[in-house]
Amino acid sequence: MSSSTKVSRIGEELWKTKIDKVNAELVTLTYGTIVAQLCQDYDGNYHDVNKQLEKMGYNIGMRLIEDFLAKSNAGRCANFRETADMISKVGFKIFLNVTPTVTNWTSDNNQFSLIFDENPLADFVELPDDGRAQDELWFSNILCGVLRGSLEMVQMQIEAHFVSDVLRGDDTTEMRVSLVRYIEDEMPPEDD
Amino acid sequence: MPVYSLIIINKAGGLVYQREFQPGLRKLSTNDYLVLAGTFHGVHAITRSITPKIPNQNAVSVTSSTTQTPTPTTTAAAAAAASPSSTSVLSPSSTSIPTPTPTPTPLSTTSTTTPALPPSTSTPSNATYTYPIPNLPLSGLETLESDKFTLTCFQTLTGTKFLLFTDPQMANIEGIMKTVYELYADYVMKNPFYQLEMPVRCEAFERGVGGFLRARG
Amino acid sequence: MSYYFTILSPTDVPLFNIAFGTSKSGGDGIARFRFPEAAQNTYMTQFIIHSSLDMLEEAQWMGGNMYLKHIDTYPPASSYISAFLTPSGTRFLLLHQPPQPNLPPSSSSGPGGGSMSLSVTSGMGSSGLFGGSGSSSGRASSSSIAANPTSPQTEEAVRQFMTEVYENYVKTVMSPFYRRGMEVKSPVFRGKVSAAGRKWL
Repeated sequence: MSSSTKVSRIGEELWKTKIDKVNAELVTLTYGTIVAQLCQDYDGNYHDVNKQLEKMGYNIGMRLIEDFLAKSNAGRCANFRETADMISKVGFKIFLNVTPTVTNWTSDNNQFSLIFDENPLADFVELPDDGRAQDELWFSNILCGVLRGSLEMVQMQIEAHFVSDVLRGDDTTEMRVSLVRYIEDEMPPEDD
Repeated sequence: MPVYSLIIINKAGGLVYQREFQPGLRKLSTNDYLVLAGTFHGVHAITRSITPKIPNQNAVSVTSSTTQTPTPTTTAAAAAAASPSSTSVLSPSSTSIPTPTPTPTPLSTTSTTTPALPPSTSTPSNATYTYPIPNLPLSGLETLESDKFTLTCFQTLTGTKFLLFTDPQMANIEGIMKTVYELYADYVMKNPFYQLEMPVRCEAFERGVGGFLRARG
Repeated sequence: MSYYFTILSPTDVPLFNIAFGTSKSGGDGIARFRFPEAAQNTYMTQFIIHSSLDMLEEAQWMGGNMYLKHIDTYPPASSYISAFLTPSGTRFLLLHQPPQPNLPPSSSSGPGGGSMSLSVTSGMGSSGLFGGSGSSSGRASSSSIAANPTSPQTEEAVRQFMTEVYENYVKTVMSPFYRRGMEVKSPVFRGKVSAAGRKWL
């Protein structure tokens, strides 16, 4: 586990030295407004809102990954477990200043959960009490997209979704991340 | 000790950025730059695939593990590379141009090895492996020297390549490369109106990279 | 002591209402309003509070404070109104009714407190709990709050209450799904207000 602590030190260090800070309320309110506006634009169709948030996150992730790599100087991860650590302790650390817990690995090491003790995107948020939002809207779904977009850029196809959210009254906020495959399109042709 | 020019190649091998910072290199036509980018992309892929494969883990660091790496790129003709650098005595210099130097100064010669330590388990010679092979980042051509300039290539994990043409005397190219990458991440990737994989036309990036690289000249 | 707290938008639209009783001095936190006619209990509080809006609008320009203290009294029901203004013009109004209206204070303009000792004799509802507090002066602040709506201690307690509610109000209206002028339905906020009431009043 020493590599894990090393990773978290990298995250801490970057957070302290390289990251421009921005007012948390600004982020929270901006994101909240976007979600609320989407809910309005999609006329309360929360499935579409989720999908749209994911897509927005995907586009962010594809760009953000370069920033992450440039700042962190990170090399390639040896396995998916290392990737998970990197996501939690460096990625989330430097962009949101949280380090979700990595847990619930499947035995094939291809799926894990991120448990968020705090979620800066969801401060102040109370879901609309229309009886459906509580069951259908994943408020922070943009994060799933960010992971998918950024990992795709480093040749990993993943699938991510939330399975619980304190906003809905659950005890924890948990995101499930599954590795689908390593993308091989850049593979040099194998010489026979 | 100037930086002559910077080229950025997207992951598909297309030229997305080219700019001169100091005169010194012969100018090429736009089309030639496109060809250069595409050619380099191909050569880079080849140099990566010809990275030697090491049969097993022990005895790799001693024997002729990382040897034949001819990198005759178009521009390499004039490459009078410094004679095999002395850092690793073992590297048997097969040709005069490329010798891998696993340790301290990887910039001094043309190296097409894994930048990680060579002794790690290398590509299984015939196993069908997935890419990326975690633990084993294969990199292609990294530097190419002539007595007039040095070409340094940096490939990000996402597949974008940065090519810097610098004076052979220039030191700390790695640091410069890193800053250029950061500028790229900031001003290009974070520009919401920049379309991924398309030619870079960002004022702020021009200014940033111009100010930074000119100051080196 | 029974309380009725309401939030009004700058255009007098009610955004939030809650009734509660004191929790000090062993109070059970349940509101027990007494009005001349029992049937009026349900709406009298709102009526009284809204009737004080004129006073409020006068008082709000008198000083720069957000907390306007006790602004109005409605002697027939021995009800006292304290007010708090947010910078955006939302008003917080708190009606408090001491436990026993037997001896309504003769004047609401005397916030000195000491002179208005209520002699609470017979209890009805929760008022029996305060039976012992003959004079409010010199007592612990909790019993002063209960017995004397205009004493400095009461003013202070109400101020604390208002401030705490204000903090929570700001957080609540920061929710992206809250739109300006909408009724505040958040159960979390309601809980927070009740808690503030228990804590300070």
